[in-house]
Amino acid sequence: MDERFSGPGAWILYAITIAMMIFILSPLLLVMAVSVSDSYFVTFPPEGFTLKWYAKVLQDRDFIDAMQLSILLALGATIGSLLLGVPAAFALVRGDFFGAAAITGFLLSPLIFPALVTGLALLQVLSRLGSEDARLNLLIGHIVVTAPYVIRTVLSSLLLVDENLEDAARTLGASRMRTFWRVTLPQIASGVAAGGLFAFMVSFDNYPISMWLANSEYSPVPLVLMRQLVNVFDPSVPAMSTIIILFAMAGVLVLERLVGLRRALTV
Amino acid sequence: MKSAEVRLENISKQYHRLTAVDNVSLKIEPGSMIALLGPSGCGKTTCLRMIAGLIRPTSGGIFVNNADITHVPVHRRNIGMLFQNYALFPHLTVEENIAFGLEMRGIKKAAAKARVAEALTLVQLSSFGGRYPAQLSGGQQQRVALGRALVIEPAMLLLDEPLGALDKGLRESMQVELRALQQRLGLTTIMVTHDQDEALTMADKIVVMRAGNLEQVGSATEIYQRPVSKFVASFIGVSNMFEGAVERREGAGGLVAAKSGIRLQVDSMPSMASSDVTVSIRPEAITVEKANGLEVADRPNVVAARVEQVIYRGFISHYYLRTQGGQQLIAFEQNQLHTTGLRHTVGDEVVARWDASSNHVIPNP
Ligand SMILES: Nc1ncnc2c1ncn2[C@@H]1O[C@H](COP(=O)(O)OP(=O)(O)O)[C@@H](O)[C@H]1O
Ligand SMILES: [Mg+2]
Repeated sequence: MDERFSGPGAWILYAITIAMMIFILSPLLLVMAVSVSDSYFVTFPPEGFTLKWYAKVLQDRDFIDAMQLSILLALGATIGSLLLGVPAAFALVRGDFFGAAAITGFLLSPLIFPALVTGLALLQVLSRLGSEDARLNLLIGHIVVTAPYVIRTVLSSLLLVDENLEDAARTLGASRMRTFWRVTLPQIASGVAAGGLFAFMVSFDNYPISMWLANSEYSPVPLVLMRQLVNVFDPSVPAMSTIIILFAMAGVLVLERLVGLRRALTV
Repeated sequence: MKSAEVRLENISKQYHRLTAVDNVSLKIEPGSMIALLGPSGCGKTTCLRMIAGLIRPTSGGIFVNNADITHVPVHRRNIGMLFQNYALFPHLTVEENIAFGLEMRGIKKAAAKARVAEALTLVQLSSFGGRYPAQLSGGQQQRVALGRALVIEPAMLLLDEPLGALDKGLRESMQVELRALQQRLGLTTIMVTHDQDEALTMADKIVVMRAGNLEQVGSATEIYQRPVSKFVASFIGVSNMFEGAVERREGAGGLVAAKSGIRLQVDSMPSMASSDVTVSIRPEAITVEKANGLEVADRPNVVAARVEQVIYRGFISHYYLRTQGGQQLIAFEQNQLHTTGLRHTVGDEVVARWDASSNHVIPNP
């Protein structure tokens, strides 16, 4: 074993780590546990074992539609925020314009967005503009909240890229565009991937923005979940939640496999 | 490889209020190697990057073989450039790094492969093609960078402190190697360095820069033996300097009375307006002898002194002397292999003397 993890201090460290894990994971495990409860109400500890709530949820048209919408929305928000965020981060790091340093500092500080207010403001702006399509409005709203995550991760990995690499590429005959694709992008790939994952998750999980911009026809998963929770709080709600949790975990694992997310997230 | 003549005409670079490069004009002969030498921050890198096209000059022009390239973008200038930190692409293998410039020029894979192999041989890394930069030593990385720069057959080679990150022994052998290669290829080369030894070792012509200006341009011997200013005299090598005034002129030479009391006979006195001058004497020109009641009195180029410090450096020793007038003098003397011990020790009363031809007169501004 690694020598850093031996000695008397190590036990304290392990204990703290395990306590943290329990603290973070127990709500999720709780949700998973009650989702298989063979009862008509959410109870803990769960009574018996059944998968009927999953069967019910997976046949629920509203939930399926919401899942579809949420996935497409999250994909759209991810693509949109990458298309906006990567060039924006590049401009902030490499550009030499007034305010670049201030904006960079703001974006690298802990991100605080009063999403509820942002959503309301967006609703007003979009309706003023006469934008009636809920799906488009949701997409715009989600990009507004997800793009900063992309800018942030790309910005911090871009700050680590040696500018001389780009200069070397250019002296060797690469235009700025080719330099970006062949030299810069491979260096920041993990940052881009991490930003994309954040964007996807933030969008998939978003409630406060969607709340303002969705309508009865187009409601993302968190809204449907909330509605269900208010109407009938049976174990189908935890079943939905479990599906979402597993879905999110799968996404993280796939990305980890593809680009080594752990490295990406430590930038 | 056809070598290019490079000419800078009154180029300047202004950063807000700071003038990094101030109206510099310079001609670099085809196939020659020049070194921009000067202290940190004097504008060497800015100059080099303007030639590369990585920085746009505020004013002035850059010409290659009389063609104005001032507004040609970097990637069309056909330049080979080496950076201090090598700047190899970490995600590409050695071969891919070297092939990069060929790929950008749209050269077919098969043709590129042969040229990459050739370049690898040139930089003596034939068996390293498949490695990644992180798997190479600093010296090997800089060779890869050199191969990558040379494979495109550049019009000129630009080096920005290319050996600065290497340790001394390797740096010195790379200097010799790089110089030999440059001469063999006849490639016009501009190097930036703050290391005078590097400039002396490698360059045909040295350009001493100071605060954005060219202080002196000349061969190594010109710069060393006939520095035009106190700055150059003290920046290149070590100089003993005497402030003084011209006492009288005799033919080409004359007599200078130094403020510290001694008199200096000089062989050649430049024509100048004021009589305020600085006389510089290289330490190796000074002979140190035991005083033994030797009469110094009024003779020029001789001074009585006391040894303050002795530093043994193998084949030479440095003697730090203090004259009776209170001025410090540094003398270098070659050690004899067969005599044991130093010729002088701390506290010895000595006489320092030198030839009139060793006195170099610099007019004070
Ligand atoms: N991008 C820049 N913005 C502002 N000042 C700069 C910039 N680049 C260089 N300088 C300034 O220009 C001067 C010359 O810099 P440089 O050419 O790098 O010097 P050297 O290579 O001789 O050490 C320095 O004072 C430096 O601080
Ligand atoms: Mg420099």
